[in-house]
Amino acid sequence: MNWPRALLTDSGGFQMVSLLHLADITEEGVTFQSPVDGKPMLLTPEDSIQIQNKIGADIIMALDDVVKTTTTGPRVEEAMYRTLRWIDRCIAAHSRPHEQNLFGIVQGGLDPQLRDICLEGLVARNLPGYAIGGLAGGEGKDAFWRVVAQCTAGLPEDKPRYVMGIGFPLDIVVCTALGADMYDCVYPTRTARFGSALVSEGVLRLTHAAMATDYRPLDSSCTCMVCKRYTRAYLHTLVTKEAMGSQLVSYHNISHMMQLSRNLHSSILEGRFPE
Amino acid sequence: MLGISPSMALRFEVLARHNRARASRLTLPHYEALTPLFMPVGTQGTIKGLTNDQLEDLDCQIILGNTYHLALRPGADLLDTIGGLHKFMNWPRALLTDSGGFQMVSLLHLADITEEGVTFQSPVDGKPMLLTPEDSIQIQNKIGADIIMALDDVVKTTTTGPRVEEAMYRTLRWIDRCIAAHSRPHEQNLFGIVQGGLDPQLRDICLEGLVARNLPGYAIGGLAGGEGKDAFWRVVAQCTAGLPEDKPRYVMGIGFPLDIVVCTALGADMYDCVYPTRTARFGSALVSEGVLRLTHAAMATDYRPLDSSCTCMVCKRYTRAYLHTLVTKEAMGSQLVSYHNISHMMQLSRNLHSSILEGRFPEFVQSFLQKQFPKGDVPDWVCNAMDVAGIDISMCRIPQSA
Repeated sequence: MNWPRALLTDSGGFQMVSLLHLADITEEGVTFQSPVDGKPMLLTPEDSIQIQNKIGADIIMALDDVVKTTTTGPRVEEAMYRTLRWIDRCIAAHSRPHEQNLFGIVQGGLDPQLRDICLEGLVARNLPGYAIGGLAGGEGKDAFWRVVAQCTAGLPEDKPRYVMGIGFPLDIVVCTALGADMYDCVYPTRTARFGSALVSEGVLRLTHAAMATDYRPLDSSCTCMVCKRYTRAYLHTLVTKEAMGSQLVSYHNISHMMQLSRNLHSSILEGRFPE
Repeated sequence: MLGISPSMALRFEVLARHNRARASRLTLPHYEALTPLFMPVGTQGTIKGLTNDQLEDLDCQIILGNTYHLALRPGADLLDTIGGLHKFMNWPRALLTDSGGFQMVSLLHLADITEEGVTFQSPVDGKPMLLTPEDSIQIQNKIGADIIMALDDVVKTTTTGPRVEEAMYRTLRWIDRCIAAHSRPHEQNLFGIVQGGLDPQLRDICLEGLVARNLPGYAIGGLAGGEGKDAFWRVVAQCTAGLPEDKPRYVMGIGFPLDIVVCTALGADMYDCVYPTRTARFGSALVSEGVLRLTHAAMATDYRPLDSSCTCMVCKRYTRAYLHTLVTKEAMGSQLVSYHNISHMMQLSRNLHSSILEGRFPEFVQSFLQKQFPKGDVPDWVCNAMDVAGIDISMCRIPQSA
């Protein structure tokens, strides 16, 4: 890739479960149908870590047993305990601990007691960093923030905390206020491809008819290349019709997210986070 | 009518020559360009995969917009309101628009040409519509490009019979209607287009007629359509010989580097084609030796840059192996290979200009042919064209055994 900065890889488990037909989770690992030839295949915690060791990212994620946040009943508990058993297998399989950081992922659905058990178990393994998983899946916002708050309170102060799958600026601001440090999401680039730009006021739908004669930049407070050079009206003609539309709006949206990141860091650093 | 010289909005100065080839400065309202030059095609106000910053980095001087596509989206009136395509795209350099006629004939179902203009079915609602020479020029006046093209009656090069002659004479009648309709001759340069198929006599008549109109520049049209290469270069040679020395000559639809080198040797200055960006989207990169097919299995473990002699951003940062994984699968593949291919064409343009300027054009042509044909199998048509151009390429050619 010739990327000189940091990389993080996920475990592969989530994609398999959400994308592959007839994927199934057992104690061994995730069984699924190979997308190449349809044969049954298995991804174990050991496999996931081995692959991630070869990819070589700075941060690698444990294979966890993740359930939809809307799931209820014993499956949630089963998944949480399995995640704890699998972290030990991941730690044992990790062949490059001095070059790559294995993060554990806190599971437990929306149940505070299950989350507590998982937190305790993972913190005891003394990992370099921790993720809060199993959210961003359809749970109500009220449940969402409470789980984040509980997890950040239960994780060590001196290690990074990564809330997986979060990309709405509002969610990021709230999670940051609650003590989280890292976020990832396809949202900014995906929404760009559908013609939506992230701006200070929220979301600008470039496909809207009014955009056809709006000659302002996407966001008057943004200094990115796209906002310096192109108008809403021009982008309106491109989005959903030309690849260039996706490109330019993606560029702006990522710029927006990085500016948000900088704003969060510097406002806390300079003692003006509440403001 | 005949004899009235329309105003010009350009200045064309030939700085150096080698036989028929010229290195020149073309000063347009928005930009001072150096020829020979290749113009990337921006169809609908954007060159697929490249931002304006990138186009400037790559030294693009003039880019081409298709009037037909622009009239559909974003529309001529909108462009007029905002002050033209330059402002809308935020492109500070030069623009050229075609007449819209070619797309109509090639893209539209049931398009038909009559003396009035091109009749076609609207792609929006299927209703019958008409694009006259007056309409085309009006729309191009609204778009505001530095160079605008006359609406011509163009036929496929493979056409034979009376249709070719009819199209040539109609092109001459239409140029007068275009000139009359042109409302901004001090800001936009109307180029005439030489037609006449592959018939030297028809081409002669058209050349005479257009030259008499004293236009700011001329295009050689009706080629790049399936004619044999031997017929192709002969028509270009005839037209460049018949066009004025002191005006730019634009061969429409030419994009293969070899074709551009030959046409330059024969005395042409400007070229346009979708080829470099289109072939990029299919995973083909333009390199000194020819064309590199990135989809080829061997590319999967080839860690060299696309072209070892290329200094563009893509060749500095990415390997063939990496690009192999992207092309035809990720939009980024198209983008990166498009970027490189346009860089390649602009480098070719610069090489043509500077080699003629510095009196080493034959050496450049020889070196170019040796890289493209390392086995010495330079095609006959190229040899014949170079003969006429007065360029010795005998050292590039190893006689093929009978």
